[in-house]
Amino acid sequence: MANNIRVLRDIKARNGVFANEIARRAYLYVARDQRLPPQVRHQAQLQLNTFGRYTRPTTVKNRCSASGKGRGIIAEFGLCRYQFRLKARMNQIVGVQKASW
Amino acid sequence: MATMTPSYLASLTRLRSSIFQTAYNPSSIRTGAKYLRRRLRGPSMIKYYPMRLTILEMMKGVSTKTGKENGVVKYNAAGEEEDMRVWDENELQRLRDVEDRKMRGKGAPKKARSKGEGRRASRKR
Repeated sequence: MANNIRVLRDIKARNGVFANEIARRAYLYVARDQRLPPQVRHQAQLQLNTFGRYTRPTTVKNRCSASGKGRGIIAEFGLCRYQFRLKARMNQIVGVQKASW
Repeated sequence: MATMTPSYLASLTRLRSSIFQTAYNPSSIRTGAKYLRRRLRGPSMIKYYPMRLTILEMMKGVSTKTGKENGVVKYNAAGEEEDMRVWDENELQRLRDVEDRKMRGKGAPKKARSKGEGRRASRKR
């Protein structure tokens, strides 16, 4: 795995999301529930804003697990298209072979 | 045809929600239920990248000279404890290079202690 800074940052974000997800959900619920008094909802929203950027699920991006590239990822294999081709041609991906007819 | 009064329709909706076990919410108020209902994404998120041992993690196991503190001891033929430290060769090479550059007078400039001491401050305008 390419341990470049973008991959490391992504791992950091993933760990942050995992650690803070339940608390964030609870605040989200309180902040979005229209039956609750506005002050309570506002306080919950302020609490939500105190979470760091690496606790938001939207910060997480699927990157290539072999090369760390951020674009052209084939989600099913977690690889970018080039690494997917390389590995598939080396028979390292089970059930994938080059088309020929 | 029988007239459908609003109260009749409302009671019908209430009955329907009780039968199908859905929340009765005639005015469509946002209850935030979707944030509680949604599955947690964290557990699958941290599993995305395959586990990789880094030199830093390996050194946690055998960080001291013999690794005795961590319960990892290796003895040589003479019965002496062997050095089991793991070295990061790239980092060692970097430190060697820095030392080399310093000896050739090409190291990092001294940090200014006060504001007036800086290289920029002493330069002529």
